[in-house]
Amino acid sequence: MTGKRMGLIFFPAFDWSISPTHPEREERLLYTRDQIFEEGLMDLPEVEEYKPRLAELKDIARVHLCVPNVEAQVTDAHLIAAGSTLVLADAYMDKKITNAFALVRPPGHHSMRVAHGNRGFCNVNNEAIMVEYIRRKYGIRKVAIVDTDVHHGDGTQEIFYHDPDVLFISFHQDGRTLYPGSGFMDELGGPKAMARTINIPLPPETPDEGIHYVLDELVLPILKEFDPQLVVNSAGQDNHYTDPLANMRFSAQGYARLNEKLSPDIAVLEGGYAIETALPYVNTGIILAMAGLDYSHVREPDFVPGQFQMSRTMKATIEAIVQHQKDAWDRRDELTDTAVSRAGPFYRRKKSIFYDTDMISESQEESVRMCPHCSGYMTISSRASKGYGTSDRVFGVFVPLFACHRCREEAKEEYESRKTDSAFDYIYLQDKTADDYRCYSVHEKNERVY
Amino acid sequence: MLIGIDVGGTTTDAVLIEEGKVIRTAKVPTDHDNLLECLISPLDDIIRDVPLEKIERVVLSTTLITNLIAEGKTDPVALVLEPGPGMNPDDYTLGDEVHIIRGAIDFRGREIQPLDEKQMKNVAATLADRGYEKIAVVSKFGQRNSAHEERMKAIITGVSPKIQVEMGHQASGWLNFPRRAATTMLKVATQDRYRKFAAEINKAISQRKIKAPVYILKADGGTLPLDKSMESPVETIFSGPAASSMGVMALTPPDQTSVVVDIGGTTTDLALILDGKPLISSTGAKVDSFLTHIRAFSVKSVALGGDSIVRAAGDGVTLGPERAGPAFCLGGPEPTPTDAMKFLEMIDIGDGSLAEEAMVGLGRELDCSAEDVARKVVDVAVETLVREIDQMFLAWEQEPAYRVWEVLQKEKIRPQNVVGVGGGSLGLVPLVAERMNTTGIIPENATVANAIGAAVARPTLTLTFRADTERGVYTVAEDGTSGEVRDRKMDLEQAEDMARKLIVERAERLGVGEYAGEAVVTHSEVFNMVRGWSTVGRLLDVEMEIPAGLISEWTGGGR
Ligand SMILES: [Zn+2]
Ligand SMILES: [Zn+2]
Ligand SMILES: [Zn+2]
Repeated sequence: MTGKRMGLIFFPAFDWSISPTHPEREERLLYTRDQIFEEGLMDLPEVEEYKPRLAELKDIARVHLCVPNVEAQVTDAHLIAAGSTLVLADAYMDKKITNAFALVRPPGHHSMRVAHGNRGFCNVNNEAIMVEYIRRKYGIRKVAIVDTDVHHGDGTQEIFYHDPDVLFISFHQDGRTLYPGSGFMDELGGPKAMARTINIPLPPETPDEGIHYVLDELVLPILKEFDPQLVVNSAGQDNHYTDPLANMRFSAQGYARLNEKLSPDIAVLEGGYAIETALPYVNTGIILAMAGLDYSHVREPDFVPGQFQMSRTMKATIEAIVQHQKDAWDRRDELTDTAVSRAGPFYRRKKSIFYDTDMISESQEESVRMCPHCSGYMTISSRASKGYGTSDRVFGVFVPLFACHRCREEAKEEYESRKTDSAFDYIYLQDKTADDYRCYSVHEKNERVY
Repeated sequence: MLIGIDVGGTTTDAVLIEEGKVIRTAKVPTDHDNLLECLISPLDDIIRDVPLEKIERVVLSTTLITNLIAEGKTDPVALVLEPGPGMNPDDYTLGDEVHIIRGAIDFRGREIQPLDEKQMKNVAATLADRGYEKIAVVSKFGQRNSAHEERMKAIITGVSPKIQVEMGHQASGWLNFPRRAATTMLKVATQDRYRKFAAEINKAISQRKIKAPVYILKADGGTLPLDKSMESPVETIFSGPAASSMGVMALTPPDQTSVVVDIGGTTTDLALILDGKPLISSTGAKVDSFLTHIRAFSVKSVALGGDSIVRAAGDGVTLGPERAGPAFCLGGPEPTPTDAMKFLEMIDIGDGSLAEEAMVGLGRELDCSAEDVARKVVDVAVETLVREIDQMFLAWEQEPAYRVWEVLQKEKIRPQNVVGVGGGSLGLVPLVAERMNTTGIIPENATVANAIGAAVARPTLTLTFRADTERGVYTVAEDGTSGEVRDRKMDLEQAEDMARKLIVERAERLGVGEYAGEAVVTHSEVFNMVRGWSTVGRLLDVEMEIPAGLISEWTGGGR
């Protein structure tokens, strides 16, 4: 016995796919099932297997503005994947387990606050739903999310961009060479949360050594200083050297050691599409590492230790990135002050977002009140073109979890006044302080409350 | 006429059944040092003056294997493992003589590292030197490709032809390497002694000129011809609780949901029958300290029985877990739940004045009347059982689910009946049922329900079929057999047809062919293997079984 008692939900959704030949299909975790069941991991005294449940629609509405409503954006499979993280969150917060791994699909880290459809295989953001559920239910405030997927966790970044209490760190293959084409070093967070978003774009073919350098020199020191109440690993496995969708050189050993060092309270599976050559081994390694057991015998059949070396140039590039982001983190207060004073009473930005799976182009205008007492309420006006000239126009008002009284009141007024604005089809209110989520149809003049 | 004999922990029960009616019963105390005698004496009792040609079937359920393992009387077995990549094999707890061989098979059954034959030869020589006569060889994923296990066996036999080698893929075909290793080891460790025992039974039966076939009851409530059971005697472990559940199935209306409560001296065994089907443990039985792949009913043993010692504690009482002897009213040394029930006139055994003495003594310690304390004892017993039953249903609801439909469909089930069987304190059963708002049933012949269950249980059989059309092979897990699949586009219907054919053959081979028609598909699933954007093959999984059930000759009771 290692003293660890790890909670595990394995939900491979063997009867769900985006389409029969899509990477996010029934077969994805089949060989992982074979490997972890054959190892007998579920029988270990260090591992406690839990049963998934469905998340409530309200748990989704706490994070997402789903267009036109939550039911339209989620299938039962999404509710089960999200619900699985909530089962583990409860077990963890009740101290029934020492840490947890939600080995579930479908994934979620590309889903943003406003959800018009499927982006990067994701509809709703499992980690964000879990974090907001925990903060709401258990009253904790400071959370760190480390995105170890090869793709930039753009959805998670966007959801917590203005929240100074959520530290989001993502390392990924450089966005100039890979979907979703974001996650650059200058994306540091909203004015009131500067350097609470840390992006680490890595050169293609970065091996274990490079990622562990980033971990040791940047991620772990920042985490230590931030001192979060909860650490979440957004645990993609597509940095693997055999992944068909990316070009990194990470191994099962590298992944296992990463989880040992990072020691996340809860890990949630994201991407990873080398379903035979990587996933069975990577998942076995992660489970063993999180259970405190020896993972040194976990090895891909074709792996030769030392086969991937870093070039001098690559090493220098990574060192420069680490140094750059270390500086940003050290200067976070100064950066915040400057950004806030530059923004004026409201910070505004325009964004365009593309949904690759559903072929939707969305344009957004975001505005955040630069409140001296809280992180400020926010509004988003969004227009999504879905081809054939159809489009959805929505307006959302968001009250953060620790909002001040004035922000709450102003936000509610804004919501009420927008109800007659014929420029929009739907108006939304997401009031996390009251755990109240509303959707108003301008045409039908009715309100839906979650 | 049907005969059922159950050798239990405390008593051995026998019944003779004619035309759906129990016409004779016998009960003797179990003598663990002479199980054969135990079996035979009640048999002689019930067949006295019976025309032997009218006996159609004899079914036995014994604790032999349980005892052998509990008392460490199994044969020494060395374990040779080929674990390949994954967990550190040192983290498995599989006994003292474990050897690790280099080589590996993957989840699709492909060789990913050749077997280190030289190393295997050295290990075989070492084990032969140490005098091992039995070796279990088990590869991780050996059930998907048995080539390495076969080779290991050949090498060992080459070194010493006297050594008996058992291969993992023939012990179990399910995923879970450590459980398969433990199952293989127990299988080979119990074979010899069981074979001797079975031969003695055969001899005793033929001496009595009984021509009827003799069956043995397995932990999954199914029967197997005695001769065929020698292959894997370890499957007959825990047949006692299975016999009780089968008895309840035989003695209650069909298709209902019942809790089986078998109250013994020191423990109470709880089992569930859901919509008429006994609940099978989803992973396999735990035998001694080993987790195995042995199919068994899901039985929960609660440390509470009719003879549990009752002690005063605070202003209440505690029951058990130990037993100091029989109940006080039967001449024992300590007050027990049986005394409380006797005093309250819930049961009719033992000496009433002794029961009163036990309760008065206990009442003095707690400063209350004998009647109050007796009620307290019964209350605590009932509450304990109700809580344990609730937890069993809860645990069943919380079994993991791997598919969307499984998460959506699992409904909340609560029992219609609480059924009491066994020799113990049946008086508790109606109270448990009342507390749970269900019907309490104590069937006629409840004290020999286990023997009835054995007599009327039909054979069970499973078949786990998998085809990998890209590799062009199929395997049958239970037999360790494999064959060729030529059709890359094989669909689920074809796979099910093939599985159906294979289970018929398997049933014939095991001497239970007449029940092959009862086989049903319990799970079937197909995965397309997509590489790039095109389908390169299919994985088809079909699971079939002849579920636990009652033979058609049984017309009494519910069906
Ligand atoms: Zn990432
Ligand atoms: Zn990814
Ligand atoms: Zn404010």
